[in-house]
Amino acid sequence: MGQRLIARRQSLKYLGMLAGSVAGREFLAAWLPKSEKAEPIRPTESSYTPLFFEPEEFSAVEALTELIIPTDQSPGAKQAQVARYIDFLVSAASEYNPALQHEWTDGLQLLDRLSREKYQRSFHEISAREKQMLLEEMSLPEQDSGRTHPGYKFYRLLKEMTVEGFYTSQVGLIQVLEYKGLSALSEFPGCTHPEHQS
Amino acid sequence: MGTHAAYDVIVVGSGAAGGIAAYVLTMKGLKVLCLEAGRMLDPSRDFFTHKFPYEWPYRGEGKPGQYGKLPQGMEWKIKEWTDHLYTIPAEDPYALAPGSKFTWTRLRAVGGRTNLWGRGCDRFGPLDFKPKSLQDGWGEDWPISYEDVEPYYDRVEQLIGVSGSSEEVYNTPSGKHLLPAFNPRCGEVLIRKGAVKLGIKVTPKPLAVLSRIYDNRPPCHYCGACNWGCDVGARYSSLDVLVPKLSRQKNFELRTNAPVHTILMDRSTGKARGVTYIDTRNGLEYEAYGKAVVLAASLVESIRILMNSRDREYPSGLANSSGTMGHYLMEHVAFNSIEGFFPQLAGRPTSNDDGPGESCLYIPRYNYGEKDRKYLRGWRFDFYTGCGMGPGPGARFPGFGSAYKKKIKELYPAAVQMGGYGEGLPFYWNYVEIDPGGLRDRFEIPQVRFHTTSEYDHAFAIRDEMYGQMEEILKASGAEIFPYEKESPYPLGSVTHEAGGCRMGNDSRTSVLDEWNRCHDVKNVLVVDAGCFVSHPEKQITHTIMALAYRASHHLAEEFRRGDV
Ligand SMILES: Cc1cc2nc3c(=O)[nH]c(=O)nc-3n(C[C@H](O)[C@H](O)[C@H](O)COP(=O)(O)OP(=O)(O)OC[C@H]3O[C@@H](n4cnc5c(N)ncnc54)[C@H](O)[C@@H]3O)c2cc1C
Ligand code: SF4
Repeated sequence: MGQRLIARRQSLKYLGMLAGSVAGREFLAAWLPKSEKAEPIRPTESSYTPLFFEPEEFSAVEALTELIIPTDQSPGAKQAQVARYIDFLVSAASEYNPALQHEWTDGLQLLDRLSREKYQRSFHEISAREKQMLLEEMSLPEQDSGRTHPGYKFYRLLKEMTVEGFYTSQVGLIQVLEYKGLSALSEFPGCTHPEHQS
Repeated sequence: MGTHAAYDVIVVGSGAAGGIAAYVLTMKGLKVLCLEAGRMLDPSRDFFTHKFPYEWPYRGEGKPGQYGKLPQGMEWKIKEWTDHLYTIPAEDPYALAPGSKFTWTRLRAVGGRTNLWGRGCDRFGPLDFKPKSLQDGWGEDWPISYEDVEPYYDRVEQLIGVSGSSEEVYNTPSGKHLLPAFNPRCGEVLIRKGAVKLGIKVTPKPLAVLSRIYDNRPPCHYCGACNWGCDVGARYSSLDVLVPKLSRQKNFELRTNAPVHTILMDRSTGKARGVTYIDTRNGLEYEAYGKAVVLAASLVESIRILMNSRDREYPSGLANSSGTMGHYLMEHVAFNSIEGFFPQLAGRPTSNDDGPGESCLYIPRYNYGEKDRKYLRGWRFDFYTGCGMGPGPGARFPGFGSAYKKKIKELYPAAVQMGGYGEGLPFYWNYVEIDPGGLRDRFEIPQVRFHTTSEYDHAFAIRDEMYGQMEEILKASGAEIFPYEKESPYPLGSVTHEAGGCRMGNDSRTSVLDEWNRCHDVKNVLVVDAGCFVSHPEKQITHTIMALAYRASHHLAEEFRRGDV
């Protein structure tokens, strides 16, 4: 049959689909934590020259990815250089999937527009807290399919690529998830917990 | 045209079927030429078993859009680890009739798809060979029975090394001398516990992976990366296991980069006298002569060769007087799996759940003899649990930020997904033909067109029943299930278990092959891959392909001994 749990994109396919039905919303009500605490975002210090994004766009991507997977008790998107990975990927999309480049440039432009409408400043200029609030608004349809938001599509793209970039990085996969596989063992003990057996 | 010396047998293809056929015929002392379309592989250079996603430029996924839109069931196979092995459809397309879907997974190299296969190694049961007379009166029986094939299942298991258990399960026979089964993971144990409550049996899954040293091959080291090729040959592939044995034999010759184009006929005797093939390095066509031709190119390719051998005398393809060639293509009924997590396992420390790649337990068919149902026959379930190489079920939650990240970590060890295969049925109207639109491959050989759909009544009915059963089992195991949508049955070929197209039978008017896999019309041409299948039970098919290839080759060698060829 399939490759066990390795097909990442397959699981990402379902991201956010849960709110689409009554069953899904009930499910979420039972399983979602009630409040989310924002973490402060540190300013970027990098000498990286982006391949695709303009410098200002790139620092927006850095801030956004760090909002999705923040640095808290464990490393986040910044340490994993997710923004660089996205820059690299979007740049490489010129060959077979130029539409992806437009999705990003359009998405970032939209973000600026939304930021100006709400805060009268570009996304680059608003505070970390304001960025967080804007992203939260963009994400609302994910929890409530009755809502719409012009930035939702871009939010989903951002989230999907950030999650993918983070959990395929050494930082995300090994340090944060502590994936222990793809190694050589002499024995495979399987489940050794009496409480699971009976 | 170049020519070559005569052989006893020309075997076409070196995958699951061709590897076994070449081995049996060679060991019986016949002079064998194996023509293989692909190149020789070197596991140390072609398999990237221990490579992490972040060691690839695009994390293993290729440049965005690089592989084109892959058909259902191929997305998870073609990655940076494997894109040099599989044929990418966009680069070497096949045709589809309007409204048709087919997922055709090709791996042109020595060993064929056994290099990357899933290693599940089931035997068919007695009822599976006689579905019409022993089950429900629908379809056709095979001309052979379980007893005819049983000795060859034994021999294949002995040759390739299979781990599992000899537990008795109704209509799901197992070998008596298997290597020890693998230890199940936590989630698998939880499912076993839940299913037992419902009276459903969960058993070790027979796997062509070594749990002990066997035949001078090392045991599995539990890296879980078999879908990218095993660097040490701890799982069966004809490349790692048979080619080394064969290359020591003087009466065996392997010619790579040699796709067969047509079968050469001797007009005076009505028998085949050899084949034509292309040398892919210079593009020239050559001939090779043999007293018998054994097609094992994977069924679509084998059928393509027979159809491309059509001429004035055989206008609808060689060995096709019945008009059934290409028809009755089958595949399991398959669809999206159900996903969720075990709250009992949430928040536990990460464990190494890779094991022997596949899951160690599964649920064999258990539904027999029920009345008043809208579907025929039965299903099996497979399930996958624990820490994988991706964020797991938590990633499906809405939101972002620290809480989201925490959810991912918490549910990472708790992942579970369950899927199943239902019996796929043979219909005349599911068929493959040479593309009437004239599509050709890169060597100018006419390419096939599929005329197939998986969306028939039985498929929907058995699917709905399977969803319900999976939910029950998962719930009884204490799992939380994500709400899901019922997807249409996946296209034929999506499980890579395509079968049929030149089925065997006693009646030459309704079948292409006889019970020894010989063409009714041309007795010295055999098709030993899954083309010969008459029905498609819920079980995985490759063990049966190999056992039948063994049996047919054994019989052919006997014919040679008696001077009958
Ligand atoms: C990822 C994956 C997982 C799988 N998991 C399982 C599983 O768990 N259990 C199971 O039972 N099955 C599984 N399968 C299916 C299994 O691999 C096939 O059923 C089996 O390999 C088919 O055997 P075959 O000999 O017919 O074809 P192949 O193994 O594909 O071999 C065909 C060979 O013929 C060669 N060839 C093609 N055309 C020509 C030509 N014109 N001339 C000369 N040579 C030619 C090819 O290059 C190839 O080497 C899986 C397959 C894949 C891809
Ligand atoms: S899990 Fe075992 S069989 Fe699979 S690649 Fe690793 S060592 Fe080989």
